Amino acid sequence: MPNETVNSRPVVRSGIASALLPGLGQILLGERYRGAGILLGFLLILATTLWYGKPVWYVSPLLIWLWNVWDAVSLAGGRKRSILLPLFFGLAAAYGIGWQVVEIDFSKADMDRAMAILRPMVRPDFVQTRREVNQMWVPVQVPCSSEPPAARREDAGRIATVIPDCGGVGETLIVTVSGMWPNAGMNIFWQNPIGNPLMLGEGEITMLTLTSDENGSITTTIRVPTTALVAAPDPTLPQFHRIYFEQYRPTGGYELSFIGSEVLKGALATIAMALLATGLAMVFAVPLSFLAARNLMSGNPLTYAVYVVVRTLLNILRSIESLIIAIVFVVIVGLGPFAGMLALALHSVAALGKLYSEVIEGIDPGPIEAIRATGANWLQVVRYAVIPQIIPPFTAFTIYRWDINVRSATVIGLVGGGGIGFLLIELIRVNNMRGVSAVFIAIAVIVIALDYISAKLRERLV
Amino acid sequence: MPIARIARNTLLTALVIAAFVVSYRVTEADFPRLFRDLAKGKDLLTAFLTPDVFTRDVETRTVSIVFPIPCGSAPTESLLPSEGPRLVPSVLCAAPLETFTLQGFDLQPNSEVVIRWRLPDGRTMTAIRTETDANGYFTYEVQARPIQSTVDGVASRLEVDTLTPVGGLKPSQALKDVMDNMFVTIFMALLSTTLATVIAAPLSFLAASNITRKGCLGTAVYYLFRSFFNLMRSYDPLVMATVFGFWLSFGPFPGFLALTVVTIASLGKLFSEAVENIDAGPVEALNATGAPPLHVVRYGVVPQIVPDFISYIIYHWDINVRISTIIGFVGGGGIGYYLNLSINDFKWNQAGTAIWAIVIVVWAMDFLSSEIRKRLT
Amino acid sequence: MLRIQNLSKTYPSGTQALKNVSFDVKDGEFMVVIGLSGSGKSTLLRCINRLIEPTEGKIFWDDLDITAAPPADLRRIRRKIGMVFQQFNLVKRSTVLTNVLSGRLGYVNPWTSLLGIWSQEDRQHAIQALERVGIADKAGSRADALSGGQQQRVGIARALMQDPKLILADEPVASLDPVLSHSILQYLEQLNKEGITVICSLHFLDLVHRYATRVVALKDGVKVFEGAAREIDRAKFKEIYGEEAQEVRAASL
Repeated sequence: MPNETVNSRPVVRSGIASALLPGLGQILLGERYRGAGILLGFLLILATTLWYGKPVWYVSPLLIWLWNVWDAVSLAGGRKRSILLPLFFGLAAAYGIGWQVVEIDFSKADMDRAMAILRPMVRPDFVQTRREVNQMWVPVQVPCSSEPPAARREDAGRIATVIPDCGGVGETLIVTVSGMWPNAGMNIFWQNPIGNPLMLGEGEITMLTLTSDENGSITTTIRVPTTALVAAPDPTLPQFHRIYFEQYRPTGGYELSFIGSEVLKGALATIAMALLATGLAMVFAVPLSFLAARNLMSGNPLTYAVYVVVRTLLNILRSIESLIIAIVFVVIVGLGPFAGMLALALHSVAALGKLYSEVIEGIDPGPIEAIRATGANWLQVVRYAVIPQIIPPFTAFTIYRWDINVRSATVIGLVGGGGIGFLLIELIRVNNMRGVSAVFIAIAVIVIALDYISAKLRERLV
Repeated sequence: MPIARIARNTLLTALVIAAFVVSYRVTEADFPRLFRDLAKGKDLLTAFLTPDVFTRDVETRTVSIVFPIPCGSAPTESLLPSEGPRLVPSVLCAAPLETFTLQGFDLQPNSEVVIRWRLPDGRTMTAIRTETDANGYFTYEVQARPIQSTVDGVASRLEVDTLTPVGGLKPSQALKDVMDNMFVTIFMALLSTTLATVIAAPLSFLAASNITRKGCLGTAVYYLFRSFFNLMRSYDPLVMATVFGFWLSFGPFPGFLALTVVTIASLGKLFSEAVENIDAGPVEALNATGAPPLHVVRYGVVPQIVPDFISYIIYHWDINVRISTIIGFVGGGGIGYYLNLSINDFKWNQAGTAIWAIVIVVWAMDFLSSEIRKRLT
Repeated sequence: MLRIQNLSKTYPSGTQALKNVSFDVKDGEFMVVIGLSGSGKSTLLRCINRLIEPTEGKIFWDDLDITAAPPADLRRIRRKIGMVFQQFNLVKRSTVLTNVLSGRLGYVNPWTSLLGIWSQEDRQHAIQALERVGIADKAGSRADALSGGQQQRVGIARALMQDPKLILADEPVASLDPVLSHSILQYLEQLNKEGITVICSLHFLDLVHRYATRVVALKDGVKVFEGAAREIDRAKFKEIYGEEAQEVRAASL
């Protein structure tokens, strides 16, 4: 083609320009946005790979740089290249590095452990069948003294005996109990002198459960638990331990379990924290929002300065999660819902202050002008022209914030802020997954119910 | 009529007041304590406001003297120098629990000073930290304690370190750690949002009434996905992260999974609403041209929803960055984990660095995401 | 020839939109369907390409039973029947060209078109279709950047992409100014003269007189009139539309 020679100079020039600074050649050819985009993308990827520091990934910025030169040369020849290629290089590096940085490793996802966690969650610990208990115990001396007293106890027609009368750790004892409920399951466990229960079943980690005969008797052999003397100050000193026999039978109906009542308390605390925090936040946010409203405050330099300061403070506070604020309050007032409530309130002041001030900024200026024209002062303008316009949206935003605060209140306990989150983390620590399951159900019920209520209330306001 | 209204309003007001009173008791609100103990928060806030960002290399110079307790248990310092950096105690030895004055002369001016005992066995006990004045002078009341007594004729020594910053400012270790962890945090948000989008986008069609809710099976699928989304959405990612952290132990991976699960539900809901709000006209028109069903979706539905989808994805990336900054508190990794560690170690300045980094990143993401979304519509 | 036999449609809600409607449309006709809103015009047109499934009755197109066609055959039938809508039914966020190209979806390779790749012929075809309706210069604009009249022309171009033998136009000018109405209907008339059968529902009597070769009138889902356009006079008009109806001339608006 005849014009190829004519074009060769810009081709070389833009190629060199882009080789020196990615995007520069494109900019020189008049493609300003394309050039700026290439430069920005290149720098971003370069910074990321340099920061991560694994040389493999330097390939990505290199390829982008090569493409960029090629693109500049093509562009000088009048042909635009698709940006899919560098986009692919960039994203491949970003996701590849991300994958390693986030330590994503699905082989670590142990399904057996997941099942062990999930299986108890199918049966949330919320209610239990109401039942009565038939409990019996017998003392036994460990380790043996020279003259151990008889290991035998009678109580309300029930007799429990142990042969021999005493034993050392790991020794076998023959245990007999009679007069219990007939043909019923019975839990047998050990209790050391300070009152801690120890298991007697397989490997000393499961409960030994047997069934009584038609006379309500059981005879079995047990071994003194290997951990029986772990807590003893002097393991050679004979002490009285106890063997417990427990039978349960349902008496009809259901009752709240212990965890269930804790969950209810946590749920109540969560809702209460959110309610109080929202109320408190509203009280502070309303006056602040007037100071943060541009249309009211841009009158003179002094008020404008106040506007800027208040706005900035609200913005900073708003970007600090309530969870982080909670840490400060936990230090000041200690663990518990009060700290969580204060944190939610402080964060909400910022969030509500911003929303309120936007409402004020969006009001119809007509009435303000009219009231001002009557010679009213600033306060009168606010009272007669501003307030009547802002009550409904303020209420709607407050209810909305309450809804959000309930959601946040479920997690604020995770850092010691009280409420159901605190219970959750405690239950997880002791591996009580049935309790965790109850907490999860409670959270879903609270959040969905409040979501619904707040949506209904706001609908009525509009 | 007005009486009924007044009665109703009174009742409502009473209910609201009662709710607040109950809440006040349940949350164990104790405002007097808040004001009484506000000072406790002062140190914390001061530390947060002075984050550990830059350091300077510190040069440490040490001067020391022998100080026998009680007197006569070991030889005292025979001759105290009269010039140069030196320590001058008011007495050369002391009985246990006796108080004396320690003065330092011609030390490094305006420097931090650490006064400590070096015990006979070589261990140290820091007595106090103070500062020298412009002449390099300090004075301090020291009490001799029985633990500092001479052992086997070896007396304790009083040592004074002066710490002088030298050289220029450089980024502190805390700043480097914070940036490393912030890197993890941002990637955690990016990856979880991406994975959630990939999963939620197809699922959202199953939860859109105008696409799925046809026939018995369709209605069942619709309700199944809709309720799944609504249920999962009600959990804060942090709540999810507790369980994932328990399953997979600490690290960014469980945090990433928890974020992903909640984001799938949240995006799925938003996406399905976008799909439900499309204009049915083009779909009808494409059906009329005889286009196959998949093409009807590709040309009739997808172009209508892509801008909404992108807007929601960016919005969620913003939210996820915000959440991944704190997910480390409960088992996820990233900056939240670092912050939690700093707080547990009472390294408040270091925690302050992390908090400032969070504020800056959250702020920047907020700004970026709202700017991009403004452009999209 | 299109033959409609005893067509009835009852919606699940119980509304009976069409009651035993029968008529024939010969090839090359400009058939106009008139009637009040809710008289069943839209249902009738949509039954022809089975966007709505008729409850009873049959529709034959050159001895091909449309009502009995299995899905694959139905798509093949549909691609020969273009359709123009009252609300244009364009994808507003897509470009004009993409909207026009989408009329070709019944023909093209399903995989490449799914990726948005179109052959050079199809693109030229689309540009030609746009040239015929006079808006080839708008090919790269987003559909929602166009005025109503231009959007309807895109709608016609989309129908043209199907190489249709029959065009169904459902109130094509009801959302447009009277002046624009004529320009749109003139395009349809032009296509009709080139041999494409047109079935069109309309409101205004003067438009009916001007364009229709034959007219079918519906009232409450029942065919109340079939004949030449000139046979409809004021009296007939009132009979169809009810006593209160006042004829409004499109041109006088």
